[in-house]
Amino acid sequence: MTFVLSLLLVGAALLVVSGVGLGTSGALLPPDRAFFLERLGWSDALGCATLIASVALALGPGASPRLAFALFAAVAVAMGRRFRLTPTAAARGQGLPRILLAVVVLGVAVYVLRALTEPMWANDYIAIWGLKGRTLFAARGYPDRFYASATLQYSHPEYPLGIPLLYAGLSFLAGRWDDHAMALLFPFLQVATLFVLVGWLRRRGVAPAVAGAAAALVAWFEPLYSGFLTGMAEVPLAFGMVLFGTSLADTLDETDPGAARRLALASALVAATKNEGLFLAGVGCLVALAFGKASRWRFAAAALVPALGVRALHFPWRSRLPLADFDAGLFTAARVRDSLEAAGRLLGPAAWAGLALIALLIATGDRVPAGGRLLLLAGAALAAYLVLPAFAVRGPAWLVETTLRRTAAALGPLVAAGIAVRFSGGSSGSGTGPRASATSP
Amino acid sequence: MTRRRIAGGAAALLFALVLAQQPWGELPRRARYMAVFAPKELAVRRLGGSGAALDRRYFSFLENARRRIPPGTPGVALRVLEPRPDMPYLYLATYCLAPLPVSMGPFAAGGVPKGWITALYGANPAGETGLLARLPEGVLIGPSPGPHP
Repeated sequence: MTFVLSLLLVGAALLVVSGVGLGTSGALLPPDRAFFLERLGWSDALGCATLIASVALALGPGASPRLAFALFAAVAVAMGRRFRLTPTAAARGQGLPRILLAVVVLGVAVYVLRALTEPMWANDYIAIWGLKGRTLFAARGYPDRFYASATLQYSHPEYPLGIPLLYAGLSFLAGRWDDHAMALLFPFLQVATLFVLVGWLRRRGVAPAVAGAAAALVAWFEPLYSGFLTGMAEVPLAFGMVLFGTSLADTLDETDPGAARRLALASALVAATKNEGLFLAGVGCLVALAFGKASRWRFAAAALVPALGVRALHFPWRSRLPLADFDAGLFTAARVRDSLEAAGRLLGPAAWAGLALIALLIATGDRVPAGGRLLLLAGAALAAYLVLPAFAVRGPAWLVETTLRRTAAALGPLVAAGIAVRFSGGSSGSGTGPRASATSP
Repeated sequence: MTRRRIAGGAAALLFALVLAQQPWGELPRRARYMAVFAPKELAVRRLGGSGAALDRRYFSFLENARRRIPPGTPGVALRVLEPRPDMPYLYLATYCLAPLPVSMGPFAAGGVPKGWITALYGANPAGETGLLARLPEGVLIGPSPGPHP
């Protein structure tokens, strides 16, 4: 089968997934036009979550994954209708300036070319994400050697299975495993990230030019949207972080009645994507406890409980073997210093200049609580990425040199949202207007 | 100068920096690669891509082996004679032959498990016993009768 035909099949599968999400999204976002762009992005997340859950549950009893997805989709859409939200008085914002829109579209087009040039190939794709996805698809199950045997320890049995299940699910829908056409998932997630980013910024009162500039920077952010990272976990995680950060900010600012639901879904998704997703959910929980006022416990639960639930569901397939790359006994302050020094050596002049400009942008923005919370999440994740190498068996410098560039790049869209919302002219914290009082029956 | 203007200037500089850091030279190469390989089957596209750059002959061996391994084979013992085998060889074999288990050994009971095929890369022995298939890049041997006590 040629690439174009296979690409059409994967594209059709992604459309179906997105359509299911769109049918369900009424339970997460009010039907106002102000939520239109965000709805498109969240629909992709909802559809992917439905697909992941259906494949995970179908493979256990050996049921047909397609049939399971159809059933899950029907239930999800019915639940979406049953718990759909009523309109708020959110004002519809203007679109992006045409020139910035064109720049964003061009950035996406360049990433499409990078992502689809060749079959996904990065070492971590071959050894971890793609291997597990291909095995789930071909074996219609998850062989115990992946979590019970040391022979596959290089595939990181301690990682969550969200991405491999998504690969397998898309392949079940498309009817075949094609690791070239499936790379379409990554521009799909990039576009979903941009939808949520721009939609959220516009709804939060950020000027079209500022929202457009943030989107342009994200769309062209090659350290994240590169051919190398296509197939790995960073692009999905970056999407999950934007979903989590924006929904946490909305929840704490009580912008609309769907915010806490979105936060719960985002919490589950980031935890299913990578281990640091659970860390992010924990940080979000603490932020909710600190700033959630009277509803702090409810908001904290929305941030953390779904992530813990995902990890609990993952427990039967989680490795019983000790971690190969980390040892808690190795931690010392000197190793943290080694990690920081290695990170400093990693940055060239251009990276330092970029960081200085980001610091200037943060300094010139207004004090907007939502922006502070997003930047706090990003800062906590970055701190974790810098401290974690102190536990690395092969030394802090090794882990920093092999992973920091790409893990930090995944924070890019979250940082862009956190900075841009600080230019909302002070209207961000007030939300989108009067809250809807209840969900419709 | 207002804070907004400073921020606008910083954002413009940041975007210029992001554009300047783009690997522009790769884009025409990517477009040419797609034009050449898109009509070909998936294995050929991978053979021509970065995933097989480690050793394209080795990927060809794995793809040939995958097509010749009999259905129901429980696993594959991989032996790479030349060059010196390292982990990326195992990663690529495990991915290409999934969902079959692939191992480079050593095997616990002192031999290849019963029923497993041995995939020998970099050799083309004339008198190998139990030859299953002779490939341009190596041979398939087996299935194994089980480990010797």
